[in-house]
Amino acid sequence: MSYYDIDSILTDAQKLPCTFELEVPGLGVLEGNPGEDIKAGTRIDLPLWLGEMLSIAARIGTSRLVTLDMPEALSERVMNALKADPRTVDLRALAPHFYNLSERILELFEEEELVDVLTDTFKRRAAEIADQAHNPRGAVGDGVEFLRGLDETERQLFRAAHDRAKAMRIWAGEAKRK
Amino acid sequence: MAFPFPQGIAPSEIAFLAEMEMVTIVPRQRLEGLELLGGPVEPLAPPRRASLPLWLALLLKRQRRANIIPPTWLHPEPLSLILEVESQHQDYKHAFSPPPPLPGQPSMHEPGPEPTARPQYTPDGEKYFAAPPFLPHNTAQARTSSGEVPALPYHWIEVGNMLLDAASDDLMDPDQIRRLLKDLREVRMSKMRAGVDVLDAAATGGGGVALTGVGAMELGEERGFLTGVVDNLRKIGASKEQARREQLAEQRANGGYNGTQDEEEDYMEF
Amino acid sequence: MDIDDILASVDRGAGASTESTAIDHQLLTRFWVAERAVSEVLPWPAPLMERMMDRVRLQIETIEDLAASSADTDLSTKQHTHNPNLNLRLSILQTDLARTQYIIRSLLRQRLSKLTKHSMHYLVKLASRNKNPLSQTPSQSQSQSQPPPSQALSPEDSVPDISQVTDYAPLSAQECAFVHAHQTLLAGHYGGSFMGAFPPQLRRLDDNAGGTSMVQGPDMKEVVFVRCLKYEVPVVVEGVDGGEDLGVIMRMGDVWVVLWEGVRNAWMKGEVELL
Repeated sequence: MSYYDIDSILTDAQKLPCTFELEVPGLGVLEGNPGEDIKAGTRIDLPLWLGEMLSIAARIGTSRLVTLDMPEALSERVMNALKADPRTVDLRALAPHFYNLSERILELFEEEELVDVLTDTFKRRAAEIADQAHNPRGAVGDGVEFLRGLDETERQLFRAAHDRAKAMRIWAGEAKRK
Repeated sequence: MAFPFPQGIAPSEIAFLAEMEMVTIVPRQRLEGLELLGGPVEPLAPPRRASLPLWLALLLKRQRRANIIPPTWLHPEPLSLILEVESQHQDYKHAFSPPPPLPGQPSMHEPGPEPTARPQYTPDGEKYFAAPPFLPHNTAQARTSSGEVPALPYHWIEVGNMLLDAASDDLMDPDQIRRLLKDLREVRMSKMRAGVDVLDAAATGGGGVALTGVGAMELGEERGFLTGVVDNLRKIGASKEQARREQLAEQRANGGYNGTQDEEEDYMEF
Repeated sequence: MDIDDILASVDRGAGASTESTAIDHQLLTRFWVAERAVSEVLPWPAPLMERMMDRVRLQIETIEDLAASSADTDLSTKQHTHNPNLNLRLSILQTDLARTQYIIRSLLRQRLSKLTKHSMHYLVKLASRNKNPLSQTPSQSQSQSQPPPSQALSPEDSVPDISQVTDYAPLSAQECAFVHAHQTLLAGHYGGSFMGAFPPQLRRLDDNAGGTSMVQGPDMKEVVFVRCLKYEVPVVVEGVDGGEDLGVIMRMGDVWVVLWEGVRNAWMKGEVELL
């Protein structure tokens, strides 16, 4: 995690389902009930940074405060869709920082299968991104929809590929004009 | 401080580097030798051939003071041969055709003795191994020995493009050359793309992916993409890599580790 | 002694200057490409840069002399017979000079841009390396006790003091002075524009409360492209037991995509070049 990196700060703010294991007096504000208590068993979506902090506190010996669940973006349902055809899934709608979120989640949960699905997803989508980025006419047809569904990491990848391809064409074009 | 370029040299800078490649010219006028910051330039005396950096050759060519003898590889015949290797040869289905050898390296086509790099020495007394653009890969050599397969030099796109642009009258069948260069670019580009699949190997510690034979401009075009892919693959796989290393440490601590066990596992040919 | 080394000592003798001009130019070019390829500031090659700057200075003098002589001959009428190639020679020398200056300028600007991006990282690194146990202890207790922290603390106070530093690696002395002046100005600006309004304990620029350090260094896990220049060069990886393990072996002439940390040492020894 990098101190000045906007993307990792935004990733920190993505929500994660948390279940309170203990009753916490006066913390109802998290549920939208200021002044009330939070009952044990309550499920609330908390930002990653908060959920992580509360769950890690449990590990170091104090009694367990919350347990974390997989966010919807990495649910079984989404994984199945990604296994079927990674290119048709709108990752941005699931989480704007889909891969960054996944990396953080994978630090918390040991999920080897998730790693494999995500690796494969990313590779297949990356190949498509390269094709789109090198198309000098810009996105057309299905491409528009695909590009709209890129998460932030993929967008940066698209930009890197596109800018370099463009710089190359400018050089080649200038070389002809001279 | 504002610096206009992203990390890794950009296409315009790559072209600038390619202009340092040595090419062969036939001068049309005399010129005394010059001491340049890039090294000495030999005296020009027509009709004796001379080797000059490309930027200087182009400067003289544009002023009609010299003709450029095309590099040995920049003829229709060797280019067709290379294209055939790139597109038909079994060994190079997923790899680029081999680059010209470095000094001391035997040609890739004829496995000879082990290569021994031939160093020069820097003024500070350290070993220096020359590499493109500072090797005579773009000069016009006497016809190579029979059977020697030509090779595309590192700066093939740039040198080819610049010579087609400024000295097409010195080339043999420039239209044909232009077509061949375009075909080569397409064949090689698709190999580069297909390579995304094995890039995981570069994301793990001690691993890597070979791109041997790649051209400078091809690398320049794809480097942002390739580094982005490897970077994210590494991050996604970080937890698994960590688990693997912990397991390895455990095995080793228990004395059950067999040193060569997974040495080859990360090796991938492109 | 290696026969290569004996030959090298001969090569280094007098008269090798034209060859060393060419090699220095190649070294400068290679170093420029490398500096453009990684996010860390590479070790400043002081002897090489000194030789280059000397040559640039001499070349400018040569060009000025030549241009002056061309102006002289213009006055006389026999300019054409005198030296028909003078203008050509001038334009070649000027182009060559401009190309070299371009590399040097791009190299310096790239380094400054990295330095400003990771200024605190390099300042902390410089200050920590030159810890002299004799001078350090009093200065540390001084900084802790002298200014009452609640009143005097400003962002500038977290800029490391490098006035005692004599080893500037990987920077040049000028870069070292630059980065300190830069960070001091920046800290003053932060203090004046917003940090001054924070509680004193939040005015530091080197805080690492919450597990995230404000001091950000270059990315050592980045991937690079290298060409292998020796017979065989292994990619190394930090071993699980803290040592070094060997990874894949690169062969002469190969181009590889690898993690920078795996080839950094080989690059320092000149066995691989960055592309």
